[in-house]
Amino acid sequence: MSLDFLAGFTIFMLALIMVVSMVPGLLAGLESSGIDYDAVAYRTGVILVEDPGWPVYPPWEMNDENHKDEIERMGLAVSKETPNILLSTKVDAFFNDSFFTPDDYRNLAIFGDIPYSYNISLRSEDGSYNYRTGNPLPPGYGYIRRVVKIKEPGVAVINDSFASDYTAPSSDQEFTVRLDFGQLLDPSIGPAYRIDPRTEPVSVTITDFNAYLNTTDHLVDNATLRTVTFWKMDPTRPIPQFTRIPFAYDTTNSELYTLTIDGNPHSLRPDGGVEVSENISLVLKPAATSFFTLDQNSILEIRFGFDDTPSRTNITGIHHYDYNATNVTIPDLQPAVLEVAIW
Amino acid sequence: MVNDRGQLYTMEGVAAGVIMLLTAYIVISTTSVYTAGDTHIPDMQLEQLGSDVLAMMDTPDNREEEENRLARFIDEHEGTEFKTMFLGYCNAKTSGATDNLHMSANVTYRDGNLIKEHQFIAPDYTWTERESAVRVTRWVQLDLKAGRSPYGARPQAVLLEVLLWRA
Amino acid sequence: MARINEDGQWIVLMGLLTALALFFLALIINQSALVGQTTAEGVLEFPKNDIRDLRSEIFDYVDRLGTLNFDSDAVREDITRISLERKNAVVGFTVGDPQDVSGRMLRPITIHYNNGVTEYDETVYY
Repeated sequence: MSLDFLAGFTIFMLALIMVVSMVPGLLAGLESSGIDYDAVAYRTGVILVEDPGWPVYPPWEMNDENHKDEIERMGLAVSKETPNILLSTKVDAFFNDSFFTPDDYRNLAIFGDIPYSYNISLRSEDGSYNYRTGNPLPPGYGYIRRVVKIKEPGVAVINDSFASDYTAPSSDQEFTVRLDFGQLLDPSIGPAYRIDPRTEPVSVTITDFNAYLNTTDHLVDNATLRTVTFWKMDPTRPIPQFTRIPFAYDTTNSELYTLTIDGNPHSLRPDGGVEVSENISLVLKPAATSFFTLDQNSILEIRFGFDDTPSRTNITGIHHYDYNATNVTIPDLQPAVLEVAIW
Repeated sequence: MVNDRGQLYTMEGVAAGVIMLLTAYIVISTTSVYTAGDTHIPDMQLEQLGSDVLAMMDTPDNREEEENRLARFIDEHEGTEFKTMFLGYCNAKTSGATDNLHMSANVTYRDGNLIKEHQFIAPDYTWTERESAVRVTRWVQLDLKAGRSPYGARPQAVLLEVLLWRA
Repeated sequence: MARINEDGQWIVLMGLLTALALFFLALIINQSALVGQTTAEGVLEFPKNDIRDLRSEIFDYVDRLGTLNFDSDAVREDITRISLERKNAVVGFTVGDPQDVSGRMLRPITIHYNNGVTEYDETVYY
């Protein structure tokens, strides 16, 4: 009897071995982790292009090293209502490799269950934005491509065409640039075209400075800029008046502002003043504006104080930083393409 | 000594073997092979890209722009300019050679009780032997313009439909 | 025979068990291949760009309300008929009179969109 038992059992075992050896053939051609590269790339693309990030206000891109853990999500869109329109300050902050580590990108933009490798790149049509972060591309990867437009900050250029408006014989040698937040943050203007000093840099450039010099004395070819100060006013108070904003005027801090006089950088209150013969350029970054504790009704004034005895410049007046195209040049939205690769 | 008492075992063994082999055969022959196109992932990528490009072409670059770009292309029948701009955006990449996408476009409008289609851009030579095409659409508001054909002079909403494919 | 010999039945049972295990394995493998497909299909199926486009078109419509030669009923019919015919979606919208919303005069707009799979309703002030 045991012989027949063996025969039956042998036939069974042979069949079992044949079947089990066929099973790996079923699993061939399946990659469990590779199956969702494209889906993760798509989701990362949506987070970057259609979402402004979190927190929205105060914006995530203004967090410094100490507050980096307050960022919950990095997104590049100007606002929730303007998908595919990216803000240049967010773009510059996102591609800052020295500030964000690969783990930051994984935790704040990719949100994958496993640590994916990534390559995120952005290039504008004219090449002025050409950023890339991540590892070089391997042979196979998940991919998405998005077409976007980049919103860049405006510049107030005060050249000689304004000379007649901003010079007067008996000038107080003080030139003011006024930003009325109530006017700038008008909700009827779409977020894609809005000037928002809280999130974008404020740029003031005074060129052709010789048009603002005191022309009676032909030997005068420059004037001395003593201080640049910031003043604010809250028009909703019963007796509104301007108060000087406390700020580290004496120290240069490129994270907060850059002041360039005739091509050379200076602090806002240089010792002994600096002689200006050609141009002054001030870029006030949103990180500084956030220290000024302004709200949506405030009026911010930037006052350029010149001081010479006898006075060498006739510059005076208030330049309104508003939506008037002659006062502020707002650049057109720049078309660009963003690619996300995940593997 | 030799009897048929153990035959049952043999038969059971053979029966078990036959069941397993049959199942294995059925299982292996029904597992399907998925190609890349079956997963619709390239379709999704193309559709998102096409929608993005139409949306960006519909967005004015600054506050002073009065005329809508797409409406102007349709009003003036500027098919070639529209095609150049559209494909310029679609084929742009961040590095390396440009992509190889092609398109054709139609405009759907309402004429009384009928919905009619007007071919805006005809497909090119890559229309045959191509990968599957994706349709993206965008609403365009046309303003009053006398003598506009075939859409009619009245202010109306038309649907611009673009077919996008990879050659 | 007087009694049915059931001694060898355990072999058949083992065979049956293996067959069942194979069947289960095949089911899992078959399902896993669909993961990538359903994700992409889910993205394709949700009309994100259609709804955004529709909202933008309705805002354009509201911008032109009251201007000369603008037949609002005709344009509304354009939108609903073409949506039904070409986009396979039922679209309806109503525009109310301007109301004061925190100092601005805005119209309440109710938008309804239904393409058979996704239904979208919104009331927005514009």
